[in-house]
Parts: sequence; structure tokens; C-alpha cells
Amino acid sequence: MARQLVEVSPEALGAGILDIETQLRLERFLTYEAALMDEHEYDAWMSLWVDGDEILYWVPCNDDDQDPNTGIAIIYDNRRNLTERMMRLKDKTAHAYRPSAKLVRTVSGIVPLTVEGDELEVCSSFVLGEMRVGIQNVWFGKSVYRLKNEPNGFRIIRKKVMLLNNDEAMPNLTFLV
Amino acid sequence: MTTLIASTRDYDALVQEDRVHSAVFTDEQIFQDEMERIFHRTWLFALHESEIPNFGDFKRIQLGRFPIIATRDEKGEVQLLINRCRHRGAQVCEAARGNAKRFQCWYHGWTYDTTGDLVGVTGEEAYDESFKPDQYGLAKVPRSGSYRGFVFASLAEHGMSLDEYLGPTKQFIDIMVDSSPIGELEVKPGVVNKTMYRGNWKQVGMDGYHPHYVHMSVFKIFSKRESTTGSAVGAIHLEDPFSDASKSRTRGFPNGHASLDFRDQRRPHGAAAIEELKRTDEGRKYVEDMVAAHGQERANELIAWHGDPHLGIFPNLQLIHDHIRVVIPISPGETEVLMYPVFLKGVGQSINEKRLRAHEAFYGPAAAGSPDDAEIFERTQRGLVADAEPWILLGRGISREEVDEDGSVAACISDEITQRAQMQEWKRLMTVR
Repeated sequence: MARQLVEVSPEALGAGILDIETQLRLERFLTYEAALMDEHEYDAWMSLWVDGDEILYWVPCNDDDQDPNTGIAIIYDNRRNLTERMMRLKDKTAHAYRPSAKLVRTVSGIVPLTVEGDELEVCSSFVLGEMRVGIQNVWFGKSVYRLKNEPNGFRIIRKKVMLLNNDEAMPNLTFLV
Repeated sequence: MTTLIASTRDYDALVQEDRVHSAVFTDEQIFQDEMERIFHRTWLFALHESEIPNFGDFKRIQLGRFPIIATRDEKGEVQLLINRCRHRGAQVCEAARGNAKRFQCWYHGWTYDTTGDLVGVTGEEAYDESFKPDQYGLAKVPRSGSYRGFVFASLAEHGMSLDEYLGPTKQFIDIMVDSSPIGELEVKPGVVNKTMYRGNWKQVGMDGYHPHYVHMSVFKIFSKRESTTGSAVGAIHLEDPFSDASKSRTRGFPNGHASLDFRDQRRPHGAAAIEELKRTDEGRKYVEDMVAAHGQERANELIAWHGDPHLGIFPNLQLIHDHIRVVIPISPGETEVLMYPVFLKGVGQSINEKRLRAHEAFYGPAAAGSPDDAEIFERTQRGLVADAEPWILLGRGISREEVDEDGSVAACISDEITQRAQMQEWKRLMTVR
């Protein structure tokens, strides 16, 4: 998120490109999304995404921008892949997810970067505590969303999550980020 | 808590034909012995030549307890240099990879070139003529060698040749390399899944018995797909390759190497794989180039095998599906696993892209396969500490082993030949004087 903020247009930082009310709605939305991820509410979380196949849930690997055409990602899901991921997260035979991790995260630094019609790009950062089988892990990350601003709420078109440790040996990532 | 057997560290007693004492996985002193007697003695995989293609390219790797800089020198040779200044011992290279013609120690400024030669000593006038800079180059790994681009290293001055060490596994390595129509692979040092688990390094074995249980969720999801020919797991085709009724074989080689040998099981599926490839221009070209390079019959089976030898080279290398896997022991209860997807040279970009997507779907910390493996390894490590009944049973299928022409031993896919091969080599190295 830091990189996106450093490079953002002066307007986005100065007067802001969203009215206060929309900004508050946005912050509530991302806090709600974080709560759904913390509580493993997979169906409700999936309903936050726009309809259609052209969604992208991307967690880069090795650096924040490794091109999946010539490299790999930790997660690089279109709807089909994400649907299968949800089946696995919910499946009691996916042992890595049983017992599920206890999670709490704080999301902050929520700043809209660009607005084009009803679509906006937003950055944020998070600190996440994970407790599972007696071991506590702390995860850090930066997120960039492409959101659709609809009358009855925001919907996610694209979400990129840049884990601070994406170039280090990491344990299982058994939850949504 | 250790038993009498463990405290004597009698490796003959700890490793028997059909069972292994759990201290082998949990004991700190045994781990230190493993570093000295296995990792500092036998052949280890170091890196693939394509990771450092040009003069000055380097990559840091770990061999046993030794931090190593792998470099490409001016003559085009791969050098394996111990990353420790000969003056006071600081590491002279901290970057994970890159290109450099010189490595400078920032403690007192001593400088080395890509062959490890000491080419600069600051304030050299303070040393008299008895100081010979040519005696103070970076120490080199005593022995190295390569097979088809795979560079191996041994920290022992003497020992078995690499050729003898690899033995009949070379034709399995060929399966991966020859899936490129020009017989060349590209490994990118910055394209890798790095994972860790809290368990012993020997857990990363070859096991044809576990998929039905550990990976049950994957089988369930694949069963809901209409087509599995392009699936993430090359082993899963039209029938179950992990059934003992299948033609899949578990195979143990001399020197601790092992394979889940799917060659006979996959061969009949070559025609279907070729049909699928022919649906795209680049796929069609790949089939044509493979036939031109290898002939129709060999091309058919190479395509059926998906470039997957499913081979483990003891102690730290596996070639599985589309990737090279490197195992790095950290402590008895902690292991890092690096998984480098392999790019085929001489093929269209869409071929490699499909391989990348298949790889990341199954492997990595949030993928469909790796997390369940890591989870089971951790559960095992937690269980092994309870050594009231300390034996781990590895006797499955021991009475139905058959010796093949190449000297390897094979039996049904779920049999524990692979584990037995690994542990017998482990014992040989731990007890050899």
C-alpha cells in the first residue's frame, strides 16, 4: 500500500476523491470484509464479489508484482479457481484447515486511489494474528482493491494482496487474506 | 524423553529393515550427525545451471550447514564457493541472487572474484611477503558435477562418483529434460515457492500410500470436474494411479533414491494428451517438435509422462510434476522446502503458462496439495515425541518386492519401498567409517 500511496495523485491525498460519506461506507465495507475472513464466513465473503467469471483474487509470490505469465503466485484465482478454493476451505477432509485458525486482523490506511465512474481503486494495509494448534503467527500485508460502487454496497472486482513475507519460506496460509 | 536405544545412538539398531525408531526424526544429536555424515559427505543437489547463465551471475544456496555462493565465472564454469571471508569469517555475499564480478567483505574490505580468488586486500603493505593472497581465496566445495544441467556438490574430498551415485535414476531425470523438444530446461532462481513446516526433513519422502487420505479433498474436487486431463496433478488421469490394482509402481534405487513410477500407468493416455495438445497451435507445434526430436514412440510416452519423473534423489532433491524441489533441514523439527517450477525451452509460451498454473494450483502455502502435506508432517512430528512405543512401521509390501533389470526394487504403488530405500541409505551413510 505504501508504494501506491507514495505514487498517488495529489488530489487523492489532498481534497480527496471521495466524499466523506462514501469514504466511511468504504471503511465499513473493508472492515466487514475483514470480519468475514476472520470468521471463515466463506459464502458471505464470496457474495461480496461481482458476478461473472472475470474476477481476480491475486496473492503474488516472490515479490509484489511477479507476472503470473512468466512466474507464479501464491493465489491467482478466477471465479472457477476461487469456487474450488471455497469448496476446499469448507471441506472437512482438507486437513490443513481443520481445526481452522483463530484470526483477528486490523485494517487501516484505507485510501481511494482513483475513481472512474462507479469503479474505484482502493489501497489498505493489515496486521493479522493467527492462532492455530498452539502456534501464533503474525502476518502483515498490503492490499489493492478494484471495487464497484453500487447503490446497495460495494462489490469486489479484483483484489491483490501483497504479503510482507511473500519472498520468504512461509508456513501454510490456511485462511483468506 | 528418549529410550535407551536412542541414547546409545546405535544407528544399526535404530534403523531396521521394516521399521525405524522415532528418535531418528526428533533427536538433536542425531540431527547434528546427519549434517556431518550425510549432508557434509554425500552428493547434494546444488542448483540448475540455467539459474546462473551469464558471467557474474550468482545465487546463494545452502548445503548442509554451509552457506554457498554459486557463481558463473569468466570461463563459463559454475563455481561453488563457501560464503565466508578468509580474513575474519563474515559472509561476503548477502544478496539472494544477482550479477556481480566481485564479492567484497564489508568488515575490512577484502575482495574476491567469481572464481573465489582473493583479488584485493585493503592496506596490503601491513602484511609481509610471507602472506600469500593466492592461499586465501574463498574455500571451494571440494567436488561438483552435473547431469543434464542439474549441478550436484559434495563437501567430501573423496567418495563415490556422481555418475555412480545417480546410477539408473539418470533415465528418470531424462524424462523431465526431454519433455523439452530441445532437451533444455530453464529454472528461474526468483520463481519459487518457499515453504516451511515444523517437522523433520525426512518426512518429504516419496509416498504412494498417502494421497487417498491426505489429499482426499483434492480427489473430491477433481471428481466434480468434467475433464481432468489438464489437471494440476499429472498423476490423476482417467483412472486412479494410486490404486494398487493400477500399473503404477513404487520403486527404490541404490543410494537411497526413489520414485513413484507412473510410466506404465500413464503410457496408454499419451494419445489423449496429444489430442488435447493439438487443439491449439502451440500445442500442435509442441507435438510435432517432440516427434521430430525423439521419434513417434518416444514422443508419445514422453508426452504421456508430462515430464514428471516423480523421482527423489537422496537426500535433498525431488523432481515432481512440473517442479524441482529442494529440501533444507533447519533442525530436527523444522524444514524448508523450495519448489522451482521448471520452464521448458523450445516451446510456445502457452505451454509453459499452463504448466505454471497447474503447478501453483497444487503446490505452495495456499494451494490444494502442499498445505495438507505440511499439516500431516507437523502432526507426525508432534506424535513422534511420544516414544513409549517408538517404532515407525515401514514394512508395507515387503514380501512382494521384485528386483528389476536396472537393479531397482519395485512393487505396488502403496508399498513402502521408497521409505525403506531412503532409510537404508541413511543408515549406510550414518554408520560408514
